[in-house]
Amino acid sequence: MQIKRPKRSFFGGLGEHGMLVVLVGLCLYFSVATWAEQHPTGPEAARSLADLVAGETLPKASVLIVVQQGRTETEFAETLGDELEEQGLTVAGLVQGRPSDARRALERIAASSGKLGAIACTETTASWGLIAQLGEQFPHLKEVRVFQPQGYYWPNFLKTDNLLNIANQIAVIAIIAIGMTMVIITGGIDLSVGSLIALSAVAAALLLRDAAGGSTATTTALVVCSLGGIIVCAASGLLTGLMITLFAIPPFIGTLAMMLIASGLAYILADGQSINEIPDAILQFDRGTTLGIPNTILLMIGLYVVAHVVMTRTVFGRHVYAVGGNIEAARLSGVPVKRVIVSVYVLCGALAGLAGIIMMSRFKSGDPKYGLMYELSVIAAVVVGGTSLAGGEGRIMGTLTGAFIIAVIQNGMNLTNVESYTQKVVLGVVILGAVMLDRFRRRDAG
Amino acid sequence: MRLTRWTTTTVLLAFLALGCGQSGGTGERGTIGVSVLTLTNPFFKVIADTIKADAAERGYDVIVTSGEYDVAKQQAQVKDFIVKGVSAIVLCPCDSKSIGPAIQEANQKGIPVFTADIACLAPEAEVVSHIATDNFGGGKQAAQAMIEALGEEGGQVVVLDFKQAESCILRVDGFKEAIAEYNKGRTEGTIDIVAELPGDGKKAQGYKTTEDALQAHPGVKGIFAINDPSALGARAALEKAGKADEVTIVGFDGQPMGKQAIKEGKIYADPIQFPDKIGAMTMDSIVRYFNGEEVPPEQLIETALYRKEDARQDNSLDSSRRVEP
Repeated sequence: MQIKRPKRSFFGGLGEHGMLVVLVGLCLYFSVATWAEQHPTGPEAARSLADLVAGETLPKASVLIVVQQGRTETEFAETLGDELEEQGLTVAGLVQGRPSDARRALERIAASSGKLGAIACTETTASWGLIAQLGEQFPHLKEVRVFQPQGYYWPNFLKTDNLLNIANQIAVIAIIAIGMTMVIITGGIDLSVGSLIALSAVAAALLLRDAAGGSTATTTALVVCSLGGIIVCAASGLLTGLMITLFAIPPFIGTLAMMLIASGLAYILADGQSINEIPDAILQFDRGTTLGIPNTILLMIGLYVVAHVVMTRTVFGRHVYAVGGNIEAARLSGVPVKRVIVSVYVLCGALAGLAGIIMMSRFKSGDPKYGLMYELSVIAAVVVGGTSLAGGEGRIMGTLTGAFIIAVIQNGMNLTNVESYTQKVVLGVVILGAVMLDRFRRRDAG
Repeated sequence: MRLTRWTTTTVLLAFLALGCGQSGGTGERGTIGVSVLTLTNPFFKVIADTIKADAAERGYDVIVTSGEYDVAKQQAQVKDFIVKGVSAIVLCPCDSKSIGPAIQEANQKGIPVFTADIACLAPEAEVVSHIATDNFGGGKQAAQAMIEALGEEGGQVVVLDFKQAESCILRVDGFKEAIAEYNKGRTEGTIDIVAELPGDGKKAQGYKTTEDALQAHPGVKGIFAINDPSALGARAALEKAGKADEVTIVGFDGQPMGKQAIKEGKIYADPIQFPDKIGAMTMDSIVRYFNGEEVPPEQLIETALYRKEDARQDNSLDSSRRVEP
């Protein structure tokens, strides 16, 4: 007998990767929308600028170099200086700093009545009012020509800095979304994660301030106190998990209560203020890189790989799906239902705690205002990623895609100057649309 | 069914395109990135609008965003400004301390940062200039208004504060200093600050807190609220308790609703701020900075006391409109 396969439509054909296609489409769209002139500052740009200056000025003309503070700027200026001298020009001076430094240098040159042939700038310093309107400020320097590197075109969206930005900005949401995916697969929900971010950051910052010597705390103390913050949140997760399993409190209510308790505790512990008596070393965790990739992003990727393996290859993973699919059937076939449910809430709490530590590291402070409404972003990421709120269905990697869809939209709208009220509407519509597309796909794929 | 799907997709894409269609070009001088505390408060909107208007005249483009009290969101906005390569950044920080790392990042890229209204208190962050209301002086003016309203009898006063904001802490400090000055050497007719309670700068919280304060201190004669919304919240609570005529309210800010309430006698007086002057001074400082002039690290703009008499002559107030506290 031949089995009739339903004809696949466009949406069904998207298959498992429907949301991934949406993500790629968004990236393409924003790449086109943020096509803009870029201003190079590398040694390559310095060399071509030197050629440009040499070609357009008299031989042996004296050139003033104006750049800003920073390592790349120093390199640019040094290469530029060397190249100019090689071409037979004189470097009249190097200004590295603020516009006021450049003004002093120009005043010095004007006072010594030295002849200035040209000013070589970066794109930024050339736009300073002082230099752009040089003739108005220094009438006898009116003839001096100002040079800057030639720009090239490339989407702002696709700059390495921006792509890392996107990943960095969503890391906090994405990490919690791992735990949330598991909770939702068991048929539950966790509304407390936003408050747990605040609780964890405040608890860790408080431990650092009051028990480890504040700004002078050692790295070991830093790690221990951070673990302290995570443990507090894991314990909160344990408490909610027990409430839900032992007293049959609906997850929505149980975690709503925990949301209020955790937020209130964070405000009480911090006395309503942000706590920033924390060693500077904490900034290294979020700001530092390993193999060129920011630590937070590596951590996020690592956690997703582990969670993916756990959910697809281990007994625990199968149990989570079983509990969400049909709790009675799971119980009858010997799945330790209560233990599984408690575990996912503990895990979700601990991940929210970890996210709180990332926030603390990012802002060098613990603040009870952290994580406001984050639970909704986390749930949105999970749902956009294709996990069913009814439980029993969903993929960890889908959640990562969902988180990135939200991050890309937010970042793209910021880059294209969409004002913040419109952003909310667009984000809402996109979430709705993404989920609708997913529904069509599922039905069509049968 | 198929039709619905395509409609959905089309509507979705159209929406996205519509939303993103507003990307502005670059001004000849460059772009200035502005991130304020919230755009729902007219005060910050005026600052942003003034910067925008003044910037256009001077050849700059302006991007206005708002952190909406979320420092993480504001940090993301600053990072996006950096990616876009803005010339300068203006911030009204959502948190005076936690905004530090974001400002540091801009510092590293050589982008000058200016703060308006709310200062940055993170020591490692470098701000070219902070432009704000003289909040401490404003607090003293509020005390002056309270003293003239309570007269020789003095009485108990409650303060509705907002400890999360440095500016509001300064207002209360100035108020307390001027009151202490007044009380010095007096044995009777002193003004006693009996409670400092959180008003959150919001109407609802100001209302609740005032209700509670009236329970604890039934004889209260005056309330100083650190802004107009919490002052109007206090007024509503007083009206409900039937004490509106016995208690003097002094607010702060001079937002339209505050001025209207002063006109109607619901608030006694406000030290008013000039957000337009803050915006103009900020834009002026940016231009001066790029011209290579020295810009002072702090520039304060004085408040002025605004009483019923000023409100009567204020043409900006619509006599037909009434404030319902």
